[in-house]
Amino acid sequence: MSSPVLPKRRLATLPLMRRESIGGLYHVLTFEDAEGTLALPGQFTMVRGAEWGDAPLLPRPMSYLTAGNTPSILIKVIGEGTLRMGRAEPGEPFTLLGPLGQPWRAPSPGRRAVLVGGGVGIAPLLFLARAFAASGQRQPIAIYGGRTAKDLPLDDELTALAELHITTEDGSRGTRGRVTDVLKDLLGPDHEVFTCGPDRMMAKVAELCASRDVPCEASLETPMACGYGVCLGCPVPVTDGGYLYACMQGPCVDARRVDWSRGDHAPKKGVTQLRTKS
Amino acid sequence: MSALAVSIGTLELKNPILTASGCFGYGLEYDEFYDVAELGGICTKGLSLNPRAGNPPERICETPAGMLNAIGLANVGVEAFCREKLPILRERGVTVVANIFASSVADFVTITERLNRETGVAAIELNVSCPNVTEGGIEFGKDARMCGEVTRAVRAATKLPVWVKMSPEAGNIVAVAKACEDAGADAITAINTIRGMSIDIEQMKLRLANRTGGFSGPALRPIALRIVWEIAGAVSIPVIAIGGISTTRDAIEFMAAGATAVQVGTANFADPSAAKRVLDGLRAHCEKRSIDVKALIGAARG
Repeated sequence: MSSPVLPKRRLATLPLMRRESIGGLYHVLTFEDAEGTLALPGQFTMVRGAEWGDAPLLPRPMSYLTAGNTPSILIKVIGEGTLRMGRAEPGEPFTLLGPLGQPWRAPSPGRRAVLVGGGVGIAPLLFLARAFAASGQRQPIAIYGGRTAKDLPLDDELTALAELHITTEDGSRGTRGRVTDVLKDLLGPDHEVFTCGPDRMMAKVAELCASRDVPCEASLETPMACGYGVCLGCPVPVTDGGYLYACMQGPCVDARRVDWSRGDHAPKKGVTQLRTKS
Repeated sequence: MSALAVSIGTLELKNPILTASGCFGYGLEYDEFYDVAELGGICTKGLSLNPRAGNPPERICETPAGMLNAIGLANVGVEAFCREKLPILRERGVTVVANIFASSVADFVTITERLNRETGVAAIELNVSCPNVTEGGIEFGKDARMCGEVTRAVRAATKLPVWVKMSPEAGNIVAVAKACEDAGADAITAINTIRGMSIDIEQMKLRLANRTGGFSGPALRPIALRIVWEIAGAVSIPVIAIGGISTTRDAIEFMAAGATAVQVGTANFADPSAAKRVLDGLRAHCEKRSIDVKALIGAARG
């Protein structure tokens, strides 16, 4: 694995500082962390209400949107856990286990980053874009897609951080179509793609990148119970046979390692209770 | 300082709190959280003769106050465990219970013989009750005669204590437990998961690729408690309880039903320090009342 030394994990009970309802089913939850969360872009946390009792039982895997003293996550209300998160009030305690997993790999010198995201998959890409800006790297290109104009949470934040291209399937904003429709025209040989979103989207992005010999890093989304390597609930088929575990070997992986043709890990739209990105 | 040690046959555990197989990896994932050597013991992920990749995804899903899993005994195999994991556990002073799985009596014996060559294995726990594999597993555990046969063969092959992990799906689980006792088991572990199912009604498809999965978590607790009570009343060897134990209260409840020790399983997923939390609470409980933990065993049986 190409990752740097990873920050130490901890299980912290943190009060919710604020919940911003940002339209539709989307919310940003920001927690108060005096000690500070040392997460790197692409890493995730297992989040659970400290007062949930026996149900929902399991924590929810969420990519960090920000870290530091005010770690935050982007959620979409899709099940019991996110429903409770979407109703949480400031002061409510949550347990956050993290930072977990492999962060995005360091950008390759001489290549321009292209961030390709869909829906809540934008969270780890926004974190990455902010890190690029903070370290004075060249502004990335971003292609952000949703079904409709309402499925583009935090698009305004991305505007300031990237050369932004929006796509919607119904044409209500940006280019009508999918992110790959834009990517196929725009992708150059000196680019490097970072993608996070629905599996089907990432599979197409990965395929396109592979066909042009452009590096592609994907942030995987699977159900998981623990997030730290013991439940073995998050296998993702790999091209050389067997599985990688999204929690420890991912979520950020070289897209060429993943066997995207084995669609048995495709997300169950809107109903999966356990997701890595909200 | 209250006494927390309990005896499982000839094996003395420093306290009655263990972690359940399949819910704690190989005990090496907890460095940032606590010293695993503080526990009464850990039960390893089920070890097979050869490494296993496990079932295709989806392997898990959540259910009300519980979850289903169909991992399919993904593990590194007994050889890699002995070479790569056990030496670290041994050096740290962790009490290691090797949970083993095979699809034939002969393979159970071969794995046992491999473990015999190592120091640092405190006991062997026979997984005759995995609901998620097509061969062996639960088929051994449902049948008193077959379960006795596996137990007898492993018993003859090792000097290590032998624990047998029961399936709640046995028609007559008390008869299976007694057959294991007669075959020389040192303890009965109860219970493994029970098979369940979940359907995604939006996509009209089963949530687990394996179709069924083992049901675990707090929702399982009353069923496990009833079974532990029944077995503890029928055998004279110790019973080690598992089934949705998440808090000290739960651990005491199972001990009061007759368990000598307990295993914390699914609770580790949401809280990596769950077993340590249960142990600390148990210590406080005993100190507050100035009792030896052994006083809790069977306390509710009258």
